[in-house]
Amino acid sequence: MDVDLELEDSDNEETITAQSVLAKLEEAWMNEKFSPEILPHRTEIVDCMLEQIHQMEENLNKLKKSDFRVVIHRMELDRIRYIITSYLRSRLEKIELYTSHILEMESKRPVEERYLSPAEYKFAQEHQSHLENHFETVVLRHMPYNIRTLDKATMSVAPNLFSQVFLRANKTVNGVIVETGVEGAEEEVELDGNSQHIIQYKAIAELVKSGSVQLI
Amino acid sequence: MPLLRSYTPHYFSIDDIMATQERLPCKFEVDVLRLGEYCRNQAKIIMSNTTALKVAKKSFLDPSSDDEDIKTGTTLELPYWLARALCNRNRSIVSVNIPRIYKEAYREILKAEASVVDLHRLCVYFYEFGSYLSGFNHRDSTEIGNLLVQCFKDRFRLIMDWAQNSSGDTSGSGRGAGSDPTARLDNLERGLLITGRSSWEALEAWLSQGGGRPIGPANMVVNHQKRQLANASVS
Amino acid sequence: MFGDKAFELIKELERCPDSLPAFNDEGVRQVLEEMRVLFEQNQKDVNVSVSGDANYFAGVQLRHTSLERNKRCLLAYLYNRLQYIRQMRWEFGSILPPEIKFNLCEPEVKWFGNYSKYLANYMKTIGDGYGLDLTQDTKPPKSLYIEVRCLVDYGKLELEDGEIVLLKKNSQHLLPRSECEPLIRQGILQHIVH
Repeated sequence: MDVDLELEDSDNEETITAQSVLAKLEEAWMNEKFSPEILPHRTEIVDCMLEQIHQMEENLNKLKKSDFRVVIHRMELDRIRYIITSYLRSRLEKIELYTSHILEMESKRPVEERYLSPAEYKFAQEHQSHLENHFETVVLRHMPYNIRTLDKATMSVAPNLFSQVFLRANKTVNGVIVETGVEGAEEEVELDGNSQHIIQYKAIAELVKSGSVQLI
Repeated sequence: MPLLRSYTPHYFSIDDIMATQERLPCKFEVDVLRLGEYCRNQAKIIMSNTTALKVAKKSFLDPSSDDEDIKTGTTLELPYWLARALCNRNRSIVSVNIPRIYKEAYREILKAEASVVDLHRLCVYFYEFGSYLSGFNHRDSTEIGNLLVQCFKDRFRLIMDWAQNSSGDTSGSGRGAGSDPTARLDNLERGLLITGRSSWEALEAWLSQGGGRPIGPANMVVNHQKRQLANASVS
Repeated sequence: MFGDKAFELIKELERCPDSLPAFNDEGVRQVLEEMRVLFEQNQKDVNVSVSGDANYFAGVQLRHTSLERNKRCLLAYLYNRLQYIRQMRWEFGSILPPEIKFNLCEPEVKWFGNYSKYLANYMKTIGDGYGLDLTQDTKPPKSLYIEVRCLVDYGKLELEDGEIVLLKKNSQHLLPRSECEPLIRQGILQHIVH
């Protein structure tokens, strides 16, 4: 993402930049909302957009309350704030549900390639440890010693990557491999630029992350 | 912000625990020592549910049950979770039989008129239990798998139709003969129906009001107020 | 039969998905007791098996499976209750109505407090430290001001711009959406749509 905040001096370019950041935010939001698994975080967009909101709010406070522009701008701000909170809520929901699975996956990624933002990562860790702690306090410590451990592999709750999703291809993609469910059978599909499909998420997960397709 | 996701059973899933509690006939292939009480109590439970449960609890905790054994050849209805663990490739303690609702006679009925069968009465977890059963190395396994898929396909259209057209309740309270036909659905189907209905309602609301639905109180707050009201009127 | 009492706990939750039954202390204790007995018996039989008699293997296996099942039911019981309690944080806010709190066991109350705390900490860090309350803006906005009816005698509400509104039962107001949304969610105001 190349958002250049330095450009804010020039009125004209600022609008273009803000517009494009908003478009990126909307894309990230839709992808996150419709994807069964958590996607790489886009903190830079969120931070940038919130920064914009704060500036706009300050500017609005300088205007008279009766100024018609205030209403229009406030509406727009409310809308953007809704998108941001909805986006972050979707992520949090997945983090809470798939905590141990996500932490397990994260542990295999280098720190700078983590899907969770540092704050989300901290949240996930705390969520996990408080859950385990609760199990321990209420029942585990009263159980026979050979059965007390929490077996991460069997207990981990993981997203269903075979969920069907709707998508629009941003560009033509060839050779998408879809597992058809019958043992080992596969099917190859071609996604034309701008075409829309309903397809199993697992087959296009990487394309969502690379931005080749947009979930809708 | 409800934690709603597509169907995925997991370790903590209530539905999965319920489904794995369904019973199937098992025959013991070896002697199991010091568990006989458990077997005798089974018989008692079948005769009288409430009193036998108390007895079962007592004798289980009673160390004198030590010398009771289950003999080879004994047949018992065991819950799936237990049957699965005792029947594996290396060393089978029990051999399993398939419950009759998944056997050929019933399969024929389901094939012929899938849409009118009361699955709820046959087994509340018809698909989930069925798919677990198809995992056993049994001569009926493949057939059960096919049956589930076919049966679901046949009934799905009906569920879609109900989701979009009827407004009957799905709580299953009035499940008498001839009442709400949705009472014939198994647990999985009922979940689909509820999801289908709520998305249909959301679509209709959006079409008629352009999405300008009023902000409502949180669901839990509504439920809580209802209960408070009910309590107040009782006391 | 082994595991029945643990299964009762799960059925309790399944029966009332829309409310939280009181924490079943006694039920949990009984399951733990069953586990203790199963374990002790297994210890005995394992020792016999080690000394050469392989006939006890089946019983050991059966009891071990029952132990695992009991564990699964207990953990699922706790887990699903926490899911419900967590949802309450989003719908009631960080303070629970006393009648509901009454149904929680003490570790659950503690968990709720902790959850509120680390959730708040997380929300504070959003946007480079500006902070953002994610429990707000839960519906896409349609208008800045909405018409509301007050359902209870709430008292005074100070708006962001300093204006003070008196919220009396059955009074109607035109208020900024963002400021009355939390009150609507808590059932104090009702959103009127014509």
